[in-house]
Amino acid sequence: MDEAALCGWLRRATGDEALRITALTRLSGGAIQQNWALDVETAEGARRWVLRTDAPAVLAVSLPRAAEFALLRAAREAGVTVAEPIFLCEDMGVIGRPFFVMGRVEGIAAAHRVVKQAAPHGDEVVAALGRELARIHRIRPPRADLTFLGDPPADAARAMIAAMRARLDEAGTPRPVLEWGLRALERTAPPPVAPVLCHHDFRTGNVMIDGARVAAVLDWEFAAWGDPHADLGWFCAKCWRFGAHAREAGGIGAREAFYAGYESEAGTRIDRARMPWWELMATIRWAVIAADQAARHLSGQERSLELALTGHIVPELELDVLAMTEAL
Amino acid sequence: MLEKPDGADLLATARDVVLNELLPALPPEKAMAARMVAAAIALALRERAAVVPAMPDLAALAAEIRAGAHDPGTPTHAATATLLRDHARARAAVSAPKALGATG
Repeated sequence: MDEAALCGWLRRATGDEALRITALTRLSGGAIQQNWALDVETAEGARRWVLRTDAPAVLAVSLPRAAEFALLRAAREAGVTVAEPIFLCEDMGVIGRPFFVMGRVEGIAAAHRVVKQAAPHGDEVVAALGRELARIHRIRPPRADLTFLGDPPADAARAMIAAMRARLDEAGTPRPVLEWGLRALERTAPPPVAPVLCHHDFRTGNVMIDGARVAAVLDWEFAAWGDPHADLGWFCAKCWRFGAHAREAGGIGAREAFYAGYESEAGTRIDRARMPWWELMATIRWAVIAADQAARHLSGQERSLELALTGHIVPELELDVLAMTEAL
Repeated sequence: MLEKPDGADLLATARDVVLNELLPALPPEKAMAARMVAAAIALALRERAAVVPAMPDLAALAAEIRAGAHDPGTPTHAATATLLRDHARARAAVSAPKALGATG
């Protein structure tokens, strides 16, 4: 990271010629993006920011930083609890990659810690998360500031089936169990609902919690127009409970507490009959992503023990897929 | 005849060193990496001992399933379900043996 170039850019962006960087340290986490804690001294005092940029190898399916910045703005306007988006830099000449600067939020995001520490007030936390998700889903197409998302799919469920099959074909490894699940989803696809903004990675691990409070909804790079049940299913799917299977809402709290929070904010009732379909889809999607992460390691694109081990989650997910397909 | 101890013994011994000697001495931010090393060694050991069942052409099977050839109501549905379960269980026995207890 070229600190001098970054400092110069920040001086121009803020109009503060005396701005100084006092600390710049890489934060943990983020297989796709890199986050850096960025402390600066400005004319108005000290500021604690986060600089977010791409990891060396970027997943083709994730949105670029400028898009993520626009999504953060839209979410903040909609009342979603997110870090404040401050500056966007698309000039490759500054640190070699596009980046944006956002406010630093304090809290815990690491999934296993959240599952453990939120347990005493788990229902309160998941109700708050339900309300956050309902606010995200209030963002509806068309939106002039979100044109990079393209047109909403006519049928989000069938579009997701097609997308998963395309990714399996591209990866080239035959996965008959995932095909089995996708075929069952195809036979039982629910009729489409009006499209909303889906976060598409709204789960334990991607939300920052501070006590019983939601400090920030993180990781917007998979956001797209879609079916709101996709996000609800992703959050509740067994594969995202981090071992706390009895707490069906993200391993944190009760499913009905999460639904109640969502419904209170959305003003509509969740169609519970649709949830098994979307939870099976969530499990298949995570298996496809996990296999792709291992492929990044195998291809040499990014040699990493974490990515390598992620691939070994797939067989367990396949057992879930078979059980869920049978129960569909 | 190769010299003993063999690879499996060495891997198991190395895993004990990682967990019992290195992990307690590491700074907290490196604990995850050490646990991943231990997990990778354990997985490699299970893989050495694994019995992989014979499977038909997986690419052909995947294509048939997608086309609906083994849907409920077809003569091959039940046998395909059994085959897929065996396929997933054999791989989970190496990748995630704890999952076998949970799903039966």
